[in-house]
Amino acid sequence: MSRVLQIHDLKTAYFVGKKNQRILHHIKNAYVEKGEFVSVLGLNGSGKTTLIRSILGMQKVVSGQITFDDVDFKDINVNELSKIVSVVLTDKIDDAFLKVSELVSLGRFPHGSAMGSLNDNDIRKIKEAIEIMKLRSFENRVFSQLSDGEKQRVLIARAIAQDTPLIILDEPAAFIDSPGKLGIMRMLRKLTYNKSKSVLLTTHDIESALRFSDKIWLLSPDGKFISGEPNEMVRSGLINEYFDKDGIVFNRESLSFEIVSGANNCQ
Amino acid sequence: MQMAKRTSAYIIVLTAGVLMLFLLNLSYGSVLISWDRVLDALLGRIADSPDAIIINSYRLPQAVTATFVGMALGLSGLLLQTLFNNPLAGPSVLGISSGASFGVALVVLSGSLSGIDFMLSGFALGNILVVVAALLGALAVLLLIIFVSSKIANIVVVLIIGIMIGYAINAMVGVLQFFSRSLELQAYVLWGLGSFSKTSLPQSIGLAISVSVLVVLGFLFQNSLNVFLMGKNYARSMGINTKVLQLKILVIAGLLVSLATAFTGPIAFLGLAIPHIARNLFNSSNHRILLPAVVALGAFIALLCNFISKLPGYDTSLPINAVTSMIGAPIVIWAIVKRAKIKQ
Repeated sequence: MSRVLQIHDLKTAYFVGKKNQRILHHIKNAYVEKGEFVSVLGLNGSGKTTLIRSILGMQKVVSGQITFDDVDFKDINVNELSKIVSVVLTDKIDDAFLKVSELVSLGRFPHGSAMGSLNDNDIRKIKEAIEIMKLRSFENRVFSQLSDGEKQRVLIARAIAQDTPLIILDEPAAFIDSPGKLGIMRMLRKLTYNKSKSVLLTTHDIESALRFSDKIWLLSPDGKFISGEPNEMVRSGLINEYFDKDGIVFNRESLSFEIVSGANNCQ
Repeated sequence: MQMAKRTSAYIIVLTAGVLMLFLLNLSYGSVLISWDRVLDALLGRIADSPDAIIINSYRLPQAVTATFVGMALGLSGLLLQTLFNNPLAGPSVLGISSGASFGVALVVLSGSLSGIDFMLSGFALGNILVVVAALLGALAVLLLIIFVSSKIANIVVVLIIGIMIGYAINAMVGVLQFFSRSLELQAYVLWGLGSFSKTSLPQSIGLAISVSVLVVLGFLFQNSLNVFLMGKNYARSMGINTKVLQLKILVIAGLLVSLATAFTGPIAFLGLAIPHIARNLFNSSNHRILLPAVVALGAFIALLCNFISKLPGYDTSLPINAVTSMIGAPIVIWAIVKRAKIKQ
């Protein structure tokens, strides 16, 4: 199996000013294989977004090596990288007075020129992405008028249209209702099955991450990093260790969080 | 597809409107010249008549200047609004027009200090010294802004520094004004009111050619600008070297503002208002639509303002900035309120 993303001895950090840094994580070895679905889990403030931004070069790292498709990140320019990784970020897109189809078509930019029009292949990829994210009936709506869930689907469709082997998503399901969350996770999972795309995402939704992922990257606030299969993490009690809190306990049988008896009354 | 058709229909109507307003600008003024006389004058068939002189020496350069300054300001406004991701960005915010003002103030007002009379002999219409001073002042500030933006990645900081540079330069102009004689002061204030009629025919043609080149250069970035709408991080993820793109856009927009201001003085509101009108008219932020739209609309509105400022039928005319502001301010308010409603 070829590794789309390989992380080696990476140290991520918060930077305050030029000198002050607080090391968040030291990741000795982690990777995403072709067709793999990897979820990054961790409590608030554990550095999930920092990890994503560090991988994408949007943030300085202390040290370490990141390779995409076996090429060192330092040897890849932004244009080459845009053909390997597409992203869905939490950045607000406020003023885009763009139709859904126009926004999705931006994903074809890395494959065309700054001036040119879309070719047949571009149009096919755009249609396909719109189809996958079930946006057919939205095509001519204006992006800024959509609901949060709809916007998120459009942004994912844009990433799909970019047609890269790896898609990295930062909290793709935040601010979306439960059926919407599951729907998004399922669509991404299908993408890894049907198109052999690799998906790396951060999420707060531990239950669906365990259900859909091939692999979990667990980040703890004290700097530990653990990579493993969901089953194994549940069985070994790691999930309980990391996320159980104040009588809210992860049930290893039902794979969901429960309020333990005795703590049931809210007094 | 339907959208594309409607867009091209709008652009065609606008272009026809531009041509019509251009002819109206040649025909109307303190004296009315009939359209066939206008044509005769343009074709050189009535070379020495007063009508031909009025057309070829005054109204034609004025109309050409209005057309291309409108294009330049509209386009630079759009580029800057997209670059800074800010609907209030416009040609005046970077301090470039202040730079031009400073250049002119230095030339016109220094007469008071040095005792040399630039003004009486020098400040004739379209005086080349004033144009050069304005251009140099504007370019100096542009270089400063480019230097700043090459050092500072955060484009909002660049925007704020631009505004601050503008304030600082205006203060220096204020000092120059304070020590000036009233005659020079009046000349400077007149320049600051803006006018499309300061250019000679060769100057207006030079302006037209340089603006056209910059417009073509701007069009080369249509897809990159669309990607830029999603913000810097997304733009990078789609393969754009954001720092280089910012610099290129800044240079094009800055040169457009410098040229326009050098030949006409600071023209208020057009650069800010035209992109808003275009977005509302075409219901889009797509630069493949907006770029041609702001160019056509810029020419249209500048010619319309010029036509109104002539007060056809009267002997006198209004300062162009009074007209652009009176038309521009309500339009910007309307556009912003309308978009705010759409968003809810």
